[in-house]
Amino acid sequence: MSWHGDPALMETYALGILDEVHSSSIEAHLLRCERCREAIARHVGRDRIEGMWAAIEERLDIAPQGMVERLLGRLGMPDHVARLLAATPSLRLSWFGAVAIALAFATVAARAGSVGVLQFLVVAPLIPLAGIAVAYGPRVDPTYEVGLAAPMRSFRLLMIRALAVLITSMALVGIAAIALPHLDWTAAAWLLPSIALSLGNLALSSYWSPQRATVGLVAAWTLAVVLGERFSSVPYAAFRAAPQAAFAMIAVASIVVLARRREAFDTRRGR
Amino acid sequence: MERGADARDDGALLEAIGDGDREAFRVLYERHAPWMLLRLRRRCADPNVVEETVQDVFVAVWRRPGAYRGTGDVAAWMWGIAIRRLVDRMRWGARRAIAPARLGRSQPVLSAEEQVLLGVEHGDLAGALNRLSPELRAVLEATVLDGLTTREAARLLGIPQGTVKTRLMRAREQLREELA
Repeated sequence: MSWHGDPALMETYALGILDEVHSSSIEAHLLRCERCREAIARHVGRDRIEGMWAAIEERLDIAPQGMVERLLGRLGMPDHVARLLAATPSLRLSWFGAVAIALAFATVAARAGSVGVLQFLVVAPLIPLAGIAVAYGPRVDPTYEVGLAAPMRSFRLLMIRALAVLITSMALVGIAAIALPHLDWTAAAWLLPSIALSLGNLALSSYWSPQRATVGLVAAWTLAVVLGERFSSVPYAAFRAAPQAAFAMIAVASIVVLARRREAFDTRRGR
Repeated sequence: MERGADARDDGALLEAIGDGDREAFRVLYERHAPWMLLRLRRRCADPNVVEETVQDVFVAVWRRPGAYRGTGDVAAWMWGIAIRRLVDRMRWGARRAIAPARLGRSQPVLSAEEQVLLGVEHGDLAGALNRLSPELRAVLEATVLDGLTTREAARLLGIPQGTVKTRLMRAREQLREELA
């Protein structure tokens, strides 16, 4: 190196009082000169260097962000919410894969005949229901304890996750429904039952454990559809107008229950 | 202090970091954090943003030391990361430092560096650069010295991309006239 910045100049640069043109020149030089980098380092306080180092070490010990988390971050979601959301078991790629396979089978079955369509309609609302069932709770959530200790109410976390799961799984079902043999009303008949079962599950979870609520609802739903088919003269009896109205009412009632019993999610620990 | 005790050059340190060597990482940090901090400080008025950007760079280096291709100065590579991280962070509302007052005019002369534009001599170029308005100089600095695209420079300076382009053109014209 043929030239080195003289100490006085370096000091004025480090203090931030050197004019811009000379500063630029020093900066260009610093990139190539180890000796001057060392010289300039003396002008930076040790406490700042140590402080930044401590922060870096802390960040290295935190697990790196996954794809979902980075995406959410880019969409403007705060880091801590993104992390809690990305840790949702039913928002993982493996979950989406399983759902896609289940839907593929249901769609193939539906193309084979009207019994298949009925099977699809039974299965479709169970997908968001199952997704929400494994979205939160001590048994399934690796971050459950973290969530309890987090400075965010468990209820809010549950709602954020449930909404995300509901949207993503219903989108998947919606895509599958396009592949149904008849694009008539049956292709959308699963919408209200899906919402009703999902919200109903959340509402029941304020009384029971999420697993128990889910098993109960799956049984009740399957039974309702089977009985409807058996004792009614029209096909898809459980998806006609009157039952659909009932599903809408269940959804509304569930929201009311949730609003009233939100405290139950925050106080329940380690069930 | 760790620096000086370690004779390995930066490339060797990066290799060691690839094997998870925290000691090597610390040495690299001691060597490069100070100048990076000072240089970023000239581009962003918020000391918190500056410090977080330095942290970003070293976290990124720790995670992917292999991103350095083994050619050119490690310092230059790290600055490339630093300025882009700063641009990313600037989106969240920090403001650029107001150009420091033109003190130190009578400073000793610096000799020429590789880049003609940055080779500041007592001659015409230094004077011409100094006569540019702070806005024009800031744009020139972001694009030429820091190697940012006009889009990145726009984000860093908090002005529209079109403004960056017009200012860059004006800066060039002015320099050309003065140096002709």
